[in-house]
Amino acid sequence: MKILKYSDVTPHNHYLNRRKFVEALGLTSLAFVATPTTAKLSYSTSAKPNTIEEITNYNNFYEFGTSKTDPAKYAHSLTTDPWEITFEGVSQSKKKFDLAEILKGKAIQERIYRLRCVEGWSMVIPWIGFPLRDLINELEVDNNAKFVAFETVYRPTEMRGQKRATLDWPYREGLTIEEALHPLTFIATGLYGKELPNQNGAPFRLVVPWKYGFKSIKSITKISFMKDQPYTTWSSESPREYGFYSNVNPNVDHPRWSQATERVIGEGLFGERRKTELFNGYIEEVGDLYKGMDLKKYY
Amino acid sequence: MIFSSLFRSLPISLVYCILLIPIPLYFYWGIVNQLGPDPLRFLEHKYGELGLIFLLITLSISPLFKYAKINLMRYRRCIGLVAFYYIVSHICVYFFLDIGLSIDILLSDLQKRYYIIAGFFAFITLIPLALTSNNFALRKLNIKTWNRIHNFIYIAIVLSIFHFILMSKTWTGELYLYTGITIFILILKIKSTKFYKKLSTYFNADISK
Repeated sequence: MKILKYSDVTPHNHYLNRRKFVEALGLTSLAFVATPTTAKLSYSTSAKPNTIEEITNYNNFYEFGTSKTDPAKYAHSLTTDPWEITFEGVSQSKKKFDLAEILKGKAIQERIYRLRCVEGWSMVIPWIGFPLRDLINELEVDNNAKFVAFETVYRPTEMRGQKRATLDWPYREGLTIEEALHPLTFIATGLYGKELPNQNGAPFRLVVPWKYGFKSIKSITKISFMKDQPYTTWSSESPREYGFYSNVNPNVDHPRWSQATERVIGEGLFGERRKTELFNGYIEEVGDLYKGMDLKKYY
Repeated sequence: MIFSSLFRSLPISLVYCILLIPIPLYFYWGIVNQLGPDPLRFLEHKYGELGLIFLLITLSISPLFKYAKINLMRYRRCIGLVAFYYIVSHICVYFFLDIGLSIDILLSDLQKRYYIIAGFFAFITLIPLALTSNNFALRKLNIKTWNRIHNFIYIAIVLSIFHFILMSKTWTGELYLYTGITIFILILKIKSTKFYKKLSTYFNADISK
């Protein structure tokens, strides 16, 4: 099995694979082929991004400590080059890729997304990267895959927070295959036109702008395609408080606090709270994914 | 003991000043945007955490004297009141800045949010202590009544710890530390109660029989 490159002409089996995803998305194959990697500009918000200082000094990345300032202090100890990503639930014989191999030929683009944390604050972040589906479409994904699971690197010698059992390491997250293939679902490798800082999940992180921030898993080393819903860290930690979907929803409160409003980071001490929007304002883009779903039950 | 004599010679008014300076100082830093990307949460948490720390210090003074012969009894009232002022500042930040004076949010928080309910009752139990922390009240009140009121601080600390636990996402180092200290202080307190003493003499007598 040769290395799959973006520049490769899509072989037949990949095409079939695409067909499956196309069906999953409920789109025609034509529409799918017609939107390769060129980003629709409308995917970015027009909101003013937060400053790089705010984005890089206010992080939840428990692998480096539970305080928001810990990641900026301690994340430099993580080696992000070389970086390997292992794939499971794919039929190709090569399952381990170097990051450079994955990035080769990818059309890198900017996406300015709003990020809403489950704790009740929000930011606007100009990410650099590519849609996750550009990567998935290059893989020979098992036909029965319904979910995608992601895993953060486990390296306690470099990530001091992992020496303590704050969470059940390694950190894991997951999406349905439909969510993973949604054009908004993004892999960030950079920020503000530069390389991704370690505290923001270097070198390779997920960004799902319509879900609470903890779904957007950082420093990924493993991606698995599977039939059943995967283990996800926070929803296992406290199933009543964090669901598998964890879509931003002002009408479904966290059991211990309200999700109706959010503090906008950068507004200062006297800033007004912002009303939280359903799916973090991305309802037009992702509303169809959850049509008919009881969002109070599948929070 | 230079350390303890130095402590004993500090005038109370100076202790008040030193311990209360962080309140306006942090507020000023908040206004000039020196508290990081989320100044509101920083200020709210800082006042609350300092309030908790000063409550724990207040509670440690009597065991420190009893078990370690370190006498800071002179400062107990002052530090207790300092804790109260931090807690008042904490609540002001919550009410004026965090929820923006919204009575609706306050009422819904008080109905639904366990950590707010716990924090609210912790504050309520501290009010009579603060009001009677002066010589006038001490003279006016029967000492038994006064002592009973001031034992409310144990209820307040338990509620405060619950408030902290319930608002946290995970067990952080600070949370373990404050909860551990609280449990330790409570054990010492329980051991010094008449009830416990009676109970232990009863059991000891039982064993010796």
